[in-house]
Amino acid sequence: MTSMQTKPKFDPNSPEIKAYLNEIAHQFVREGTMVAFPTCLPGMTTPIPLDESRITALDINSEGHVYGGTSGRQAHLFGAAFHGLTGIVLDAGVVPGCTSTAAICCGASRTIAFVNGPQGGRAVAVPHIRLAEDWIQEWGLAPPVLQELGDCVPGEPVVHAVAVPSRNTVVGVTTHHLFTVDVEAGRITVVGEAPGRGQLAIGRAAVFGQDEGTQLWRFDVASGHIRRAAVHLPDGEWTGPLRWARDPNRGLLFTADAAGRLFSFDENKFRLLGKAHLAPVGPMAVTPDGRLFGFCGAEMANLFCCDTVSGSVTNLGVAASILEQRRYGYQFGDAVTGRDGEIVFGEDDNGGHLWLYFPKITSVRG
Amino acid sequence: MGSGQIDRRTFMKVSSGVGVLAAGLAPAVTAEAKAARALDETPYPVKWYPFTGHPDSDTCWSLSVGPDGRIYAAACAESVPGGVVKPVRYNEQRDDLDYLFNLAEKVDDPGDSGRASQCKIHYSFAPSMHDGVLYMATHLSGPPIDLPVYSPWYSWHDAKRCFRGSALLAFDTRTDHVLWWDTLIPKEGCRCLLHDEERGLLYAMSYPRDHFIIYDLKTRKRRDIGRIGSINPQALFLDKQHRVWTSSDYGRLVRYTPETDRLEISPGLLAHDPNYQTGWHSVFYDVAPSPDGECVYASTWCPNPRLMRIWLNQGEWPRVEDLGPATQPRDLSFPIDMYRDHCGGLTFGGDGKLYYVASRWRDAKYNPTPESRKQNEGVVWCLDPQTLKREEVARLEHPTGMAHYVSRGAVDHNGDLFFGHVGNHPSGIFKVSMPADRKRKNAHLPIRMWG
Repeated sequence: MTSMQTKPKFDPNSPEIKAYLNEIAHQFVREGTMVAFPTCLPGMTTPIPLDESRITALDINSEGHVYGGTSGRQAHLFGAAFHGLTGIVLDAGVVPGCTSTAAICCGASRTIAFVNGPQGGRAVAVPHIRLAEDWIQEWGLAPPVLQELGDCVPGEPVVHAVAVPSRNTVVGVTTHHLFTVDVEAGRITVVGEAPGRGQLAIGRAAVFGQDEGTQLWRFDVASGHIRRAAVHLPDGEWTGPLRWARDPNRGLLFTADAAGRLFSFDENKFRLLGKAHLAPVGPMAVTPDGRLFGFCGAEMANLFCCDTVSGSVTNLGVAASILEQRRYGYQFGDAVTGRDGEIVFGEDDNGGHLWLYFPKITSVRG
Repeated sequence: MGSGQIDRRTFMKVSSGVGVLAAGLAPAVTAEAKAARALDETPYPVKWYPFTGHPDSDTCWSLSVGPDGRIYAAACAESVPGGVVKPVRYNEQRDDLDYLFNLAEKVDDPGDSGRASQCKIHYSFAPSMHDGVLYMATHLSGPPIDLPVYSPWYSWHDAKRCFRGSALLAFDTRTDHVLWWDTLIPKEGCRCLLHDEERGLLYAMSYPRDHFIIYDLKTRKRRDIGRIGSINPQALFLDKQHRVWTSSDYGRLVRYTPETDRLEISPGLLAHDPNYQTGWHSVFYDVAPSPDGECVYASTWCPNPRLMRIWLNQGEWPRVEDLGPATQPRDLSFPIDMYRDHCGGLTFGGDGKLYYVASRWRDAKYNPTPESRKQNEGVVWCLDPQTLKREEVARLEHPTGMAHYVSRGAVDHNGDLFFGHVGNHPSGIFKVSMPADRKRKNAHLPIRMWG
């Protein structure tokens, strides 16, 4: 059997081919820098096991320390710090019988994690972890002790939860009920019925959640009142669970529909911004200058940046880290804005890392 | 590095590179020349078999012995847009190669599909002894016919361009027919394949996402056990307890245990050079089973590839025995080309010795061979498992091209050695005829169950 040499069917000097080659050359992290940080003190402790390290929940406290939870064979809770002399992800321990972390909420005095297992969802308190040590030279830290706070709503998995701005209360939702947790007392209160689907959004004075159809329910934190079908979602494909990001400076929320259209929400009206080049849209976070960064696309996500003023959306390519760890990043579960405006993404994959993204600095002249 | 060059940092520390050569390396040239003369009289004649029947071929990543004791190889065409792979078999009667089929046509994914093509089989031949089937699974990298290159990351979401997926074929070596085919891994290539015949399972590593895949031959269903890392291990292997082994990015063993359905990572590191390496990228390149099934011999896919012996049945985690570097010393201040510093083709001969091919290259400081020798050489080594002594038994010779990058090796039922080679156009395989006293009938048994 003999075959002739295959002839390429393209002009290597054509503008199209040159443009394609240029795209290929810039397919990873086209702007800014990504650093994949393992779930350990590198070189000193072992990371969370491969199949227990899908990072699905993150939050950040007032010190700029990140707390998170994993999913997999067992759920782990951790604290992390990346400033000063820190540079550590500290595994605070496993929550027995739980295989996923739905949310983690940094309160004023401690952090509350919401984890799920076969019996439903539970709240677990993580004490404040003193991470601001000299992790270069000499350190000493007692293992944190997790405190079980009990079932949120018996038999129902927790879908999501958020801390209110005072950080004294957490509002959460199971598949069918809304509840609150008093951070200090650890007291769980079932407020009433509300469907849980996707993430909750924390506004200035209210929490929003996905209601039946194309509507949002609104929970007024002060009064404790749930208003069903309080907000109508704009025209779009609202078939998937919602994700949210918040710009605390402007008081704006951001979400996306199942087609990847990005919207801002001022708690009254939605505004269509632009469209991510892939769907679904995954975790997002807003930098202090108002840019929205997030991941889009299943299986092999791409990073995007949305200029929330003009609405333009830029594809920033596939995540890759060449500092600290050399790693590709394909799937991400949550995101928070870090102390200095960097974004911390939780990698929802085996051997998940915390990915610190330092966006490209924009010109002060705009 | 050309013969006139020396270690970059050393050069800066001394007044003259010429002085270094004159000082102490000239005698080594004489020793090399003597060794070269000795090799001319080797009882291990070498013959090159180019894939002239598939002139597009540019690599041969897979070479294995089939369940019939004959040698199968993959004539891959990955640098040619729309290139396709053709499995070949060594025909001992004709002392030539038989071209078996155009794989892309067999799986209805022709080279002109506009997608990334079915261009190669990458360490993914796996025999089935009870029915004479040779399983094979394809890998990606060949560009669509109208594009110069392909990136699986860039085209992942592009239905028009994205690789359709690794095609798994069951080839009946008794009738020379493809019995059936299936898509083993959608959108991804198969880096390496393993057959657990007793349990009817195939195991594979996907590329680029580095997922561990199990394929049930009875139900023809696939399960994705999840990601391992970023650097694809180049081999999977099996132990007596049906556990499957590979490696992580950081040079640790990865173990899949069917009873627990878990991927676990070893606390210890695989062999690497502790003077300047951390274990990162010490992933398996090639792994050959010891005939007694108690251990495996492996080389790493890493600069300064390391040889090791791994005792799988000892302790909670296997004992890893570092057998040292497979290739020569070099300038460690420069990241050497991984196509120059390489070791592969591990296989046991009929004499119970391990054979493998390691590259050797001219280096002004570390290996100043004369210009009459080739810049890069593929050296066939024989390692005695009892004494761990190694002996250079042959040098691979290509009439005009390269002979130093061997992907895989195997011994056929007659006891002769074969090596797949990467780097020539067309690519091809080497045969190293073994001395009569080192051959035996059915030397390929017990057969290696992975690519």
